[in-house]
Amino acid sequence: MMTAHPNNFSAAARSAIHDQQLGAAVANATNTAASKRRLAMFAYGDEHGETMRQQAAQIRRRALARLPELLEQAETNMQANGIQVSWAANGQEVREQVIAIARQHQIKRIAKSKSMVSEEISLNHVLEAEGFDVLETDLGEYIIQLAGEMPSHIVTPVIHKSKAMIRDLFMQKLNMPPTDDATEMTRFARQILRQGFLEADMGISGGNFIIAETGTLCLVTNEGNGRMVTSLPPVHVALVGIEKVVETLDDYITLTQVLPRSATGQPMSVYTHMINGPRKSDEEGGPSHLYVILVDNGRSEIYNSKYVEALNCIRCGACINVCPVYEAVGGHTYGWVYPGPIGAVITPLLTGLENAKPLPYASSLCGACKQVCPVDIDLPRLLLDLRHDLVEQKKQSIFWRAGMRGWAFVSRTPFLFGMARLGGRWGSKLLPKRRKLPIGPLGGWTQSREIPPFAPESFHQWWAKQHKGTQDD
Amino acid sequence: MTSREQILQRLKHAPRPYADFRQEQNRHDMVPTDHTDLYRLFVEQAQKLNCSVHECRSTDEALQQILAIMGEDKTVLSWDALPLPGLAEALQQAGIQTAPANDPHVRVGITGVDAALAGTGSLVLASKPGQSRLVSLLPFVHVAVVKSDQILPNFEAWAEQTKKAGFDQFRATSNVLVISGPSRTADIAMELVLGAHGPAELHILILP
Repeated sequence: MMTAHPNNFSAAARSAIHDQQLGAAVANATNTAASKRRLAMFAYGDEHGETMRQQAAQIRRRALARLPELLEQAETNMQANGIQVSWAANGQEVREQVIAIARQHQIKRIAKSKSMVSEEISLNHVLEAEGFDVLETDLGEYIIQLAGEMPSHIVTPVIHKSKAMIRDLFMQKLNMPPTDDATEMTRFARQILRQGFLEADMGISGGNFIIAETGTLCLVTNEGNGRMVTSLPPVHVALVGIEKVVETLDDYITLTQVLPRSATGQPMSVYTHMINGPRKSDEEGGPSHLYVILVDNGRSEIYNSKYVEALNCIRCGACINVCPVYEAVGGHTYGWVYPGPIGAVITPLLTGLENAKPLPYASSLCGACKQVCPVDIDLPRLLLDLRHDLVEQKKQSIFWRAGMRGWAFVSRTPFLFGMARLGGRWGSKLLPKRRKLPIGPLGGWTQSREIPPFAPESFHQWWAKQHKGTQDD
Repeated sequence: MTSREQILQRLKHAPRPYADFRQEQNRHDMVPTDHTDLYRLFVEQAQKLNCSVHECRSTDEALQQILAIMGEDKTVLSWDALPLPGLAEALQQAGIQTAPANDPHVRVGITGVDAALAGTGSLVLASKPGQSRLVSLLPFVHVAVVKSDQILPNFEAWAEQTKKAGFDQFRATSNVLVISGPSRTADIAMELVLGAHGPAELHILILP
């Protein structure tokens, strides 16, 4: 199997496209999610849904406009609430800080709820190498962990697997009695994971938002594992990207409702948490120690670039669910943590453009992603800008660049352009009846479409004919 | 330079994005509630979320309902104070004992709520001494007792109320949770399964 890497996109896509099980599973999941999103976002009319989308977009932009100040305000207020706040410039620092906290509290077992930041920095592997037991507790992430794979979607990480595949995995790795019933399979995993929650001495979670004016850490989960992880172990560490801060409680109230409607079509996530601090001394349940690590890991670079728009993202996955490219190739093809249109934008930004050259081209620029984005990120624009940068920075292959330069020369020289047109017209008469090219550089392109026939006359000729004798105009 | 200073400096030295942002004029609620009958709206929305809603006409009826949910169980998790007079006596009479909130082997947990949100069928539970968050988390069955005057229009209305009471009160609460239906997952082939980690059943008892 080829290694997962964004630069292997084309090869990975080629094999993914022919995987029928994968295609069916991904199409089923994304189409369901996309239609649920439509119903939920526009439950109170098209105009109202669009108004809410614009309101959410405004809130995020207003927060980014004051990001450094809001981070300082959030830090002060979280500290006043009893939360220990630290900052990490990159993955290395996050890992060091988490390990230091774990050592300080003599931690052995760690229960994790979903955190995309932790995926970004491969936290699990490092913690396991340091001798900690790490248990992913989101059912999807647990399945991923058992299979030794990567998530293929940011909201529903295991949509690439069929029920039968998960059944076989559970039977093989956990000795589950045979069953094809999703409820029985979930109950079986529930028992195992429940034991894990009860034994864990540290919980690690992500964070969906931080409210600056109150110093509140906010999380949404459906399964309840987020509640377990933040309620049962005596130590809770939350990893939160620095862009997640919002200004007011009211801002949060809008965003935390737009998020689940866009992600899974739910009016609210089952559990919407507002965490203001560690447990009070006379309280039953909740961690005695609560840490928030504010993670940069490339975000301040994005802030200081023309791609700042990407930082508005609230990780709902709506763009992924409508993307025709994602539907065809699935999430693993993108080779890193974030797939789909938002992945095609932020993977190059977070890992370096030269490490993700094919991704800005993994889009038909149809615009569906922008249309569904709850915070109105202009994803097609960002993809075009990235393509522009790839060209400017000469990251393309020498053949590609030579070809493009040749094309530019021909199209700027009227005589050559005319010759090329004539050549194309006569040449296309030689094509087989079905107007397909044999396999070759352009062959792939004509496998699913036909080369359109050349018009008998060019636009120039047509124009000249139409305007004969109307020079006075 | 610490990482904190380094990150903040980089952000502060960047050209300000969206410097021309407009302050929104009118805020809109995600769930508009010109609905006059909040009670009815709450019941409908909660049912849509797979909650079992019991509209009780008296405390007696609510007590009977709780005993029916308890079945043969002899232990229960419960908040200290519930808006249900006679519950302690009724449980005692049935030989049911209250276990410590962190007992993971108890099937049913009974809580009150701090508010209910009609527009989304949600329950707001603040974690406080005597109101352990574990009671609505560990058991397989969660019973929430709601008084009809606790029903607010929507989440925005709750925020309004919270601001009026002052942020100090909100911030002094370690954990404020909005529950919208029983625990669920669709991670296996997009099939909806209730009770992934939290309660699989959520009974809402509404008192007059």
